[in-house]
Amino acid sequence: MGVALAVAPVVLVTLLIGVRGVAAMRTTSDFLVASRRISPLVNSAAVSGEYLSAASFLGIAGLVVKDGIGALWYPVGFTAGYIAMLVLVAAPMRRSGALTVPDFAEARLNSPALRRLTAVVVLVIGTIYVVPQFRTAGLVLAAVGGTQYWVGVVLAGAAVSVTLALGGMRAATYVQAFQFVLKLLLFLIPAIWLVLQAGAVNRTDALNPVEFTHFARETPVRFEVDVTMEIREPTPVRRNGVVETLPPGEFTAHSQDEVVFGTGAAVPAVRGGAALGGADWRRPLLDLGDQGYPLLGTWAVLIATMLGTMGLPHVLMRFHTSPDGRAARRTAAITVALLGVFYLFPGVYGVLGRVLVPGLYLSGATDTVVVALPYQVDNGWAGGLFTALLTAGAFAAFLATSLGLLLVMSGALAHDLVPGGLRRLRIAVFGVAGVMVLLALRSAELDAGVLVTWGFTVAASTFCPLLVLGIWWPRLTATGGIAGVLTGLVASSGSILFALAGPPLRGWVAILVQQPAPWSVPLAFGVMALVSLRGRPPAWSTSAMLRLHLDEPRSTGPRDRSSTVRRLARLLNR
Amino acid sequence: MSKIRRVAVTSPQTRLAHARRRSRGRWRQPRLPAGDTQRATALYTAQRRRGIPALVLMFALLLGLPGVFALFPALDTVRLLGIPLSWLMLAVLPYPAMALLARWQLRRAEHLEDE
Repeated sequence: MGVALAVAPVVLVTLLIGVRGVAAMRTTSDFLVASRRISPLVNSAAVSGEYLSAASFLGIAGLVVKDGIGALWYPVGFTAGYIAMLVLVAAPMRRSGALTVPDFAEARLNSPALRRLTAVVVLVIGTIYVVPQFRTAGLVLAAVGGTQYWVGVVLAGAAVSVTLALGGMRAATYVQAFQFVLKLLLFLIPAIWLVLQAGAVNRTDALNPVEFTHFARETPVRFEVDVTMEIREPTPVRRNGVVETLPPGEFTAHSQDEVVFGTGAAVPAVRGGAALGGADWRRPLLDLGDQGYPLLGTWAVLIATMLGTMGLPHVLMRFHTSPDGRAARRTAAITVALLGVFYLFPGVYGVLGRVLVPGLYLSGATDTVVVALPYQVDNGWAGGLFTALLTAGAFAAFLATSLGLLLVMSGALAHDLVPGGLRRLRIAVFGVAGVMVLLALRSAELDAGVLVTWGFTVAASTFCPLLVLGIWWPRLTATGGIAGVLTGLVASSGSILFALAGPPLRGWVAILVQQPAPWSVPLAFGVMALVSLRGRPPAWSTSAMLRLHLDEPRSTGPRDRSSTVRRLARLLNR
Repeated sequence: MSKIRRVAVTSPQTRLAHARRRSRGRWRQPRLPAGDTQRATALYTAQRRRGIPALVLMFALLLGLPGVFALFPALDTVRLLGIPLSWLMLAVLPYPAMALLARWQLRRAEHLEDE
């Protein structure tokens, strides 16, 4: 019941703000870039609101429980991406006057083939990114409200597509700016409450981790997916109400099982994660999959997240809603500060979660640690209230991120691959949302850590080189762009798919296959540059690039009279 | 908030035209007037010159910090207010540093365009 009370207002307000946006919706430009009239502060709140996804709100705290303190490198990379954006991409991208990334590719290189290829890449990145959002929506509602997994998935999909089809980007901007404030408050206040309520003993335990070898009290663990564990010594448990003793060796808990470990029982080992609270867990480095190369793992994740942010199509599109290049650059700078405030807190949930809900480490449902915490601290009305608040915040996170992603995906479909008017764009939204919901229904068992960086890695290996070279190197050719984007897409996705489906690897090779950014990004840059150098750029290439660096004449009138809007109006009316 | 309802004031024909499928129009060669070319070239080289130090600083800061942790494991045992120093250096320190770096770079980039 409390869950319904928490989620309903978020969905309702999202819909209401979406409906308010309909009044002013007439053209494709209204739909896609809110007619480019959003001020830097509102826009950076919207960028942050859109960017703080399920991965940030729930995932990082969950990864801290699973992989250790080193998981806090993820948000550092997420934030640093906006500095790279500020230096390299924001202003020139906005000045290109293009509506979407594929538009940019065509404006700079005049290649319909590259336009279609980038539209396909947008669809790939969008799919990899939006499916985990819907998945986490399903998992959280299942954990908090006891609903079936599909209920949350379908609910999220429906709310997002209705808002978007009605209001487009204008609605999305206000929804996301509102949701940033909402998410910040819903994350920050419960964190402070938790720290105060947890008590001195738990606080000390949280800061002085010891390896989790024996259960300190009776701990029920509920499994949502099948999990295989390594039992170290004969362990008495109660499984689904039946008392039994698990023999040493492999033990598989099935989905929907409930296993209760008694006080003093030995903790089974889980493969692939650092031992909870152990020496590796405490180190501020990311030893991916326990391969023994913590420095390499940390760098790989940092490179993927820093450079990937620069290539995320839904974030790039946000910069087009600024009135001019200067405002786009400011948006990026303010975003660094706004994200910095939010990312101070996932660690608090993570270290408290290790102490208070260690059972999640076994069930693999570490993603739900944030919403599971309040009841551990207080099982009265206050715990219920804070669970409801956090669930509402998490739902806001799915909604905001999915809004932006569905927007760019339907844009890629209906604007770039099969050009059409506003009506087709709206139909595309429902089509894309439907497919994403179907995919999410089948992906409950995927690993959160892989899903978080996969989209970033693909973006870093495709759009990042295309944009950086397109903006700063006059010699880039269309052939070079196509070759580089294709190489990056195949290398990064192929490598991650191999890590998911292929034979298990050991050592540094395993890290570079699972997190291919350190080699796939330079490879894409290299291929793009080499192929370009073998061809000849057209005569207009230099002016096409220089145009991106020319600042707009400062307008004295109201914002919407900026030269860019007029230029765009001419372009559209041609 | 005013209660005035916002209505579309476009002609019905415009609305029809917007709803129809529309070709994007022929691609046109980007042309820059001579004066603009000069200014754009100057801005391009100046922005590149100012952008590189900011990027180098960011990469040095972020790729260097894990190196510091790897070289000085003792940071895990030093405590500040009961919290391991290395945890604070990871969970808190980077954010104000990055915000300052962004502000610094924004100032420099905007200053070039103000001239």
